[in-house]
Amino acid sequence: MKVMIMGCGRVGARLAALLDEDGHEVTVLDIDAYAFHRLPSSFRGTALLANGIDQEALKKAGIEECDVFVAVTQGDNRNVMACQIAKHIFNVPRVVCRIYDPLREEMYRALGLETISPTKIIAQLLREKVEKSGSQETEPEK
Amino acid sequence: MYIIIVGGGRIGYYLLKALLNEGHEVLVIERDPRVCKVITDELGSVCYRGDGCEAAVLAEVGTGRADIFVAVTGDDEDNLVACQVAKHKHNVPLTIARLRNPQNALLFKKLGVDVTISTTNIILEAIERAIPTHTLTHLLTIEEKGLVIVEVKIAQDSATVGKMVKDLTLPAGSSLVLIISHDGSVRTPAPNTVLRAGDQIIAVTTKDAEEALRATIRGL
Amino acid sequence: MFRQILVPVGGIRDVDEETVKLACRLAKINKGKVLVVYVVTVKRALPLDAEIESEIKKAEDILDNAEGIAAEEGYEVETDVLQAREVGPAIVDEAVERSVSLILMGISYKQRFGQFSLGNVVPYVLKNSPCPVILYQQHTVAGQD
Repeated sequence: MKVMIMGCGRVGARLAALLDEDGHEVTVLDIDAYAFHRLPSSFRGTALLANGIDQEALKKAGIEECDVFVAVTQGDNRNVMACQIAKHIFNVPRVVCRIYDPLREEMYRALGLETISPTKIIAQLLREKVEKSGSQETEPEK
Repeated sequence: MYIIIVGGGRIGYYLLKALLNEGHEVLVIERDPRVCKVITDELGSVCYRGDGCEAAVLAEVGTGRADIFVAVTGDDEDNLVACQVAKHKHNVPLTIARLRNPQNALLFKKLGVDVTISTTNIILEAIERAIPTHTLTHLLTIEEKGLVIVEVKIAQDSATVGKMVKDLTLPAGSSLVLIISHDGSVRTPAPNTVLRAGDQIIAVTTKDAEEALRATIRGL
Repeated sequence: MFRQILVPVGGIRDVDEETVKLACRLAKINKGKVLVVYVVTVKRALPLDAEIESEIKKAEDILDNAEGIAAEEGYEVETDVLQAREVGPAIVDEAVERSVSLILMGISYKQRFGQFSLGNVVPYVLKNSPCPVILYQQHTVAGQD
């Protein structure tokens, strides 16, 4: 698969490395060249200094041949806009968007984007952990 | 009318002032508390501190009853998302977004933003209009119908000088609407109307036929 | 001394009672007028001129109470319900419009996020008032709301 990842932060870089290990053709975009130091030296994919919400830059980066586009920059709105460009302008078959804000995430899911809200997921995980450990502690007292 | 403006920068600020003067109910949503303070100190309770892209903020300020929603922050992505939330969550009839990158116009239209304004394009159009050659000038684009209204000037050396309108073979979908002579008199083109040097021709055409129309009128 | 006194009331009984009493006594000296107002804040979700029954009822009750207190003092006060987006500017605008010579407002000891807080209204009025302002704080033991 050809995968394009926008944003080479901790998540972006890690995802790029994992997909690269699995043998996919990966292109990572970031607007800050320093971000690419997070990629492992073994990374065989392409790291490109490019703005993922600029249609021309995306075209140059080869978005038209991509099977999957993933947006994981720090900005919800940047992710949303880039994903909508990928989906509606370049017709990328699969587009995945990270949106921290749960309300925005719900709206864009309703509008047809494939979305993930880390806020919702982490809060849920922590809740499970807290509630589980709570019951473990009270159990011996019974 | 109730008009909401996202972004209290210079555009937002002057827009707010102008609309208040016209007697509208206007509210600016601005993230920066310092900017909010400046606006509130000068103009009263017309600034709400918050993120104009957040559905909760837009609900709080009553976006559901807004007639017009304008996003004029400095970032295209923020303007897009704010307008989308206003459109899809609150059904605002008219959403207007400022564009930094003129390329985004098509995307924004597709995604439900009713009007986009690009300063770059406005300046380009002004420059086009000011260049006194026989270039074709865009006057108006009717996006949803794929039509453009243009102006073409007939130069001294143009091969069409002295020809009649019926002698021109216009590209499909194009028609001449008005002829403005260099002395300022206005004629409605008839088949026998003679074209003269210095005439400005206002025409309707399609985006694709634009170049062909220019070539025809210039007599190429 | 003060011919026209504006008393914005907030609906906290003890505080309202003391401020209205004090205003009446101050006004009596010169046979001045006392204007008691309550500000109904209208959320942006509604137009400014929306008629919110429950809020207006509440406002009228508060103002009736104020009238009662004044009557006990043997004084007659004028009352009015104002409708605005924010309380502070509404009070200041009213003071300007009626050219009052004093704003007398009461506050209760308030804590917000565990800290003593004056809220938004008082600082706004102090900063923007066109006339002298007397602030009356109901005596409460710090920490007890």
